[in-house]
Amino acid sequence: MHYLHRGDDAECNGSPAKRCRLRRRTESVRRSRPPFPWFGMDIGGTLVKLVYFEPVDITAEEEQEEVENLKSIRRYLTSNVAYGKTGVRDVHLELRNLTMCGRTGNLHFIRFPTQAMPRFIQMGRDKNFSSLHTTLCATGGGAYKFENDFRSMADLELLKLDELDCLIRGLLYVDRVSFNGHPECYYFQNPADTESCVKKPCTLEDPFPMLLVNIGSGVSILAVYSENDYKRVTGTSLGGGTFLGLCCLLTGCETFEEALEMASKGDSTNVDKLVKDIYGGDYERFGLQGSAVASSFGHMMSQDKRDSISKEDLARATLVTITNNIGSIARMCAVNEKIERVVFVGNFLRINTVSMKLLAYAMDFWSKGQLRALFLEHEGYFGAVGALMELLKTTEDP
Amino acid sequence: MYGRSEPDGEAAAAGGRAPSDGRTSNSTARRRSDSVKKTRPPFPWFGMDIGGTLVKLVYFEPKDITAEEEQEEVENLKSIRRYLTSNTAYGTTGIRDVHLELQDLTLCGRTGTLHFIRFPTHDLPAFLQMGRSKHFSSLHTTLCATGGGAYKFESDFRTMADLQLHKLDELDCLIRGVLYIDSVVSRGPSECYYFENPTDPDRCVQRPYTLENPYPLLLVNIGSGVSILAVYSENNYKRVTGTSLGGGTFLGLCCLLTGCSTFEEALEMASQGESTRVDKLVRDIYGGDYERFGLPGWAVASSFGNMMSKEKRESVSKADLARATLVTITNNIGSITRMCALNENIERVVFVGNFLRVNTLSMKLLAYAMDYWSKGQLKALFLQHEGYFGAVGALLELLHPS
Repeated sequence: MHYLHRGDDAECNGSPAKRCRLRRRTESVRRSRPPFPWFGMDIGGTLVKLVYFEPVDITAEEEQEEVENLKSIRRYLTSNVAYGKTGVRDVHLELRNLTMCGRTGNLHFIRFPTQAMPRFIQMGRDKNFSSLHTTLCATGGGAYKFENDFRSMADLELLKLDELDCLIRGLLYVDRVSFNGHPECYYFQNPADTESCVKKPCTLEDPFPMLLVNIGSGVSILAVYSENDYKRVTGTSLGGGTFLGLCCLLTGCETFEEALEMASKGDSTNVDKLVKDIYGGDYERFGLQGSAVASSFGHMMSQDKRDSISKEDLARATLVTITNNIGSIARMCAVNEKIERVVFVGNFLRINTVSMKLLAYAMDFWSKGQLRALFLEHEGYFGAVGALMELLKTTEDP
Repeated sequence: MYGRSEPDGEAAAAGGRAPSDGRTSNSTARRRSDSVKKTRPPFPWFGMDIGGTLVKLVYFEPKDITAEEEQEEVENLKSIRRYLTSNTAYGTTGIRDVHLELQDLTLCGRTGTLHFIRFPTHDLPAFLQMGRSKHFSSLHTTLCATGGGAYKFESDFRTMADLQLHKLDELDCLIRGVLYIDSVVSRGPSECYYFENPTDPDRCVQRPYTLENPYPLLLVNIGSGVSILAVYSENNYKRVTGTSLGGGTFLGLCCLLTGCSTFEEALEMASQGESTRVDKLVRDIYGGDYERFGLPGWAVASSFGNMMSKEKRESVSKADLARATLVTITNNIGSITRMCALNENIERVVFVGNFLRVNTLSMKLLAYAMDYWSKGQLKALFLQHEGYFGAVGALLELLHPS
């Protein structure tokens, strides 16, 4: 079929015994290597995240043997950056020349709204995906919710995986292989100062323990002690879905990008009641600065104030409210779990520098510098990567 | 200047007003009354809590005024007493919560009724105007005030009504007020209560609870914003944390989303709505429970999460939106509270503040959340006088300066 007939010649240095051992290892890896295509899928509450491994070391022989629909899938995915009306390939996140399971290739990152899932399954059916007999590793709630649809509509069997297991596995993997030679992880220096606030790379070497805050439609907070030892500390239902839902209602916008655009131009202090609005200044006794928010949306009970604010102000206030609530809860968890490193992931942070800086500032300020907020370039894709890794789990030669 | 002169006061004391500490000989009673009288501030006795949204005022109406005392009483003091006690509404927005009145209360040797009055902080200028026109300042009473407004409006009190505020910390007053009220309420419904079977609308019932041996206590004050305090004794507490998503958020968002303009309207709408149309539940994402981490399908995964869909937006009602706002804010407070209780190792959580006024929905949600997510370890408690404790604490400071 489409197994690798790699020229053993390339590794042919040394004794016949060595070559023989090498061949056996390659074959055993090959035997336990799953057939292409290699996908990892994370079906979330709002978005489906898909990672696709495109092999670039395909020999002429392999290509010749490749079945048509597999070729067509590879071509469709790699020659487009948009799919249908809502599918997007994040080209800037592509990991190039990655070696996975003995193959070299590019890892692609694709997303589309979960609402478009039926169309996706339809496409899988039209392209006769099931004939490829690949295992489709999927995580996220949708792996459970749509399991039957995959089976009945496209004759595909999903291998369901837990979303938090996959998140951690995927995160540690991407950080390990790095982002095309650059660090995957970063933080913000001087987050309070708009002039001098700057993104700085860092590594997650010696990453444990870490507090992992996954901000998707909703939020999960995990305390991670090692790759296989973690617990879900808590969660909150006020997440990215809340931000987008409220923004759509309050401003009439329709997409995450629009909501962020509006928020970037608004002033939340017109909407929120600050400590100084109540105290006339700081609430010194308990260290609350006048500029701190005492009551989110607190001004909006006044008709006068409602008439005087803009949609942008509302979008900004929604962003600030949701973000600060997450920050506050994360901080409490970090203190209680006695963990100093807080890593924020999830697609709420995609192109959302305002929230990232707010989180960075909040962690730093409220903890008096004890806590540090960290971010990762591949934000919301770790679950999908983790699912792909589950697919590729091979047994090592003794 | 006192409302009555000293010699007559003595006669009045001998005349048989019982001192607060039980039966003693007349001369002992007189000496004790004198000493209490000397440290007893002049009427009127107010405690004031100027919050972000509401001003809470407690007023002690003496019921043991002798004919003599009444005769000597200056006109404006009499007029204040009459105005407050013969009305239950003041101006367009002031309200006296008659059902919360505490009768036959003995404070500082005087017996009377404690009244509970509230009005929007927005109307404070009108209140100051009234204080000025009634020449309140000529009574030379100390006006004990707490809440942020005691600081924010301090100079307005001075310039508009020639009144000097004695400013007090809102959390000190809150705790002091809670402990006092719970100790004096002896008749009628117990001050402290909880909900039995909070999730079962048919069997859910309010039950009294005695707060004796109250420590340690987690006190959650839900006003415009929220403060969470761990209380170890009357004078030993710390502010654990707070959240800016409080009562003000609920009302502000409701006004924006539904067009309502008052707290009562917002609650009315919420009582008729269905939040599950607005929120994205675990089952909407998983198709059922998220068993691995014990999240039931009916739990909210993403508040307002369905509202990113235009179709869903068009299919929900204002009442649904009001309900979702209530549920979101309430559950967030519940969740943060639970984390605090866990970390501070405290099992009893008392919720106060005017967000809970006439808001049984939120109280039951909190009761349920505490119970459910802690697997029965935590108990949610509530107090009848909800949002008035800061004002009571301020009054206590007037009468028994610490």
